[in-house]
Amino acid sequence: MRILVVEDEAKVARALREGLEREKYEVVVAPTGEEGFFLVNAQQFDLVILDLMLPGRDGLEVLSTLRKRGLDTPVLILTARDAIEDRVQGLDSGADDYLVKPFAFPELLARVRARLRRGRGDQSLRLKLADLELDLTPRKVKRAGQELQLTVREFELLEYLLRHKEEVVSREMLAREVWKETSRATTLDNVIDVHINRLRRKLDDHFDRKLIHTVRGVGFVLREEQ
Amino acid sequence: MKLWPRNVRMRLTMWYTLVLAGLLALYAGVASLFLFLSLREDFDNNLLEDVETIEGSLAKEPNGQVSLRLNHTDGAEPRVGHFIEVWSPDGTLLYRSSSLENVALGAPSSKDEGSKGDSPSTVRLANGMRVRVASSVYHIEDYRVLLRVAYDEGRLWRELGEFGEVLLLGFPIAVLLAGFGGYGLARKALAPIDAMATQSQKISAERLSDRLPIQNPQDELGKLGLTFNDLLARLQAAFDQLRRFTADASHELRTPLTAIRSVGEVALQDQKSVPEYRDVIGSMLEEVDRLTRLVESLLALSRADAGQIQLQRTHISLLALAREAGSMVEVLAEEKGQQLDIDGDASLAVDVDRLILRQALVNLLDNAIKYSPANSQISVRVGKGADNQATVDITDHGPGIPREHQAHVFDRFYRVDKARTREWGGAGLGLSIARWAVQAHAGELTLKSEEGQGATFRISLPLANNSSSSQGKGGLQ
Repeated sequence: MRILVVEDEAKVARALREGLEREKYEVVVAPTGEEGFFLVNAQQFDLVILDLMLPGRDGLEVLSTLRKRGLDTPVLILTARDAIEDRVQGLDSGADDYLVKPFAFPELLARVRARLRRGRGDQSLRLKLADLELDLTPRKVKRAGQELQLTVREFELLEYLLRHKEEVVSREMLAREVWKETSRATTLDNVIDVHINRLRRKLDDHFDRKLIHTVRGVGFVLREEQ
Repeated sequence: MKLWPRNVRMRLTMWYTLVLAGLLALYAGVASLFLFLSLREDFDNNLLEDVETIEGSLAKEPNGQVSLRLNHTDGAEPRVGHFIEVWSPDGTLLYRSSSLENVALGAPSSKDEGSKGDSPSTVRLANGMRVRVASSVYHIEDYRVLLRVAYDEGRLWRELGEFGEVLLLGFPIAVLLAGFGGYGLARKALAPIDAMATQSQKISAERLSDRLPIQNPQDELGKLGLTFNDLLARLQAAFDQLRRFTADASHELRTPLTAIRSVGEVALQDQKSVPEYRDVIGSMLEEVDRLTRLVESLLALSRADAGQIQLQRTHISLLALAREAGSMVEVLAEEKGQQLDIDGDASLAVDVDRLILRQALVNLLDNAIKYSPANSQISVRVGKGADNQATVDITDHGPGIPREHQAHVFDRFYRVDKARTREWGGAGLGLSIARWAVQAHAGELTLKSEEGQGATFRISLPLANNSSSSQGKGGLQ
């Protein structure tokens, strides 16, 4: 999987490259719009991560020329301009998704994954991790064959974590996906922490192998080892 | 158009002078006309009197001739400028004043001339003289003659001319005096404006406490000055608020930055194990998260200030929305053993942006949970207020908010207890955002609190039009 990152901020570009390479993606970085434009025409990419504020050629300009040439590579836009018009404009020009800076890296990873496996879709009704099983019909959770009693919210939270198992999930992602709170100004951090703690109590307290892990400063991850 | 002066004072004077000149001219014209008519009436009366006198002087001579026996002291001729003509019915000239020097007093007589009621008329003679002629038919015994008496009009016009000269001489003087007077008046009337302008120039963002001088608060300029001062007061308040906001915001931004910096610097001072470094980085990321959220909140508020947020209104039961907000934060209450009791009239519906109003409710509930002691009760009541309003009362049994703080709790970054709040993670923007969210829906967010007896925040919103018919619609997601 080849990803083109068009980003002029060197630090951000480097972090993106390292983070994505760690996830086994092949990353090419273009520091200007011109270069990004050239690369996208010359080579084959599976995904383009495009900063909107670029020297030389504006990100939107790059994007719309790209689409005019009939290239349908998925494009994920990064923007520091948090205005609604920008989002609309970005999507109008043919972007598939956008992220507002400063974004959390787990969030970016989740978006990248979603773009690359689009069409395949994770629609399975039974999710598993180690000895943890989650059934959507009927809604049941078992650990080591033992059924766990979860509230509706805890169930949704666990389902989301399971669908993103072995990925770090930020509180912001949880707030948006599980609590459907789109405004980043509303803080649900405490609420999320309480729910995670409760889930942890029901899921992990009686077992030696812990599944829910906190990544300090970033979020949570559901995984087997550690 | 370049002649037209730019400043108000000169313009006022010009207008004033022009109008006055026009009025004076009109007055002079009317006065002259009246004078002329009155003079002519006197003139005509004299003329008609003369006609009668002269009629008496006509006599028939024994030879059948008609003669004129004037008994003027100065001879047989009438006075200078007075002319007489006598005609026989068959059109023969019987007499003509010698001063006429054979110039006829008008055309040969017509049949009607001299009949009763005939008023004098003006005739221009062949030698250019304008005369006023009165005609009369007179019978001497059975002999009918036509008598014409004429006065030279020159005297009449001379008198009128003298009057005109006096007017013409006075006109420019009067206009000039009026102009100067008008200029002085305008200057005096506009003097307060000059004073205000001079003072206004001295007032800048740094010296907003200055006010304009007001000489008489009752008159128009005084009112203008008062309005300006009022505006200045509001500007000053806005500037003060902005200044305070900037100071508070930079303080709030500086706190996490300081934490990031010191945590990073201290961690670099000696070798640490990998888990220790991870912990340091995690701690720094937590502060970054705080910064991010602060910036998001400020951005949300500034977009709200700029009116950039479009409300996506839906018809929704207020109680359902309150329950939805409650369900989001009730775990926090549970953790503290608090009871979150949400109840009220489910039929009250409002047309609101669900997410934005929910945010307000969440913020208020979050606040109530934070500041209430463990095991206390927080009640949320949905009811009907006055004036077709729906209300949500959020009552806690916390320490309450001291009276002196109540006016400020909705201010950005305002905290009742500066020391305590940081541990709760709030930046003091929650209530500002809640208030904006309510006000954006033409509602109001008010606070009632007694120190030591908890606090009640009340959201009042206009009820949706068909509130009762669609109860319970748009509930939980």
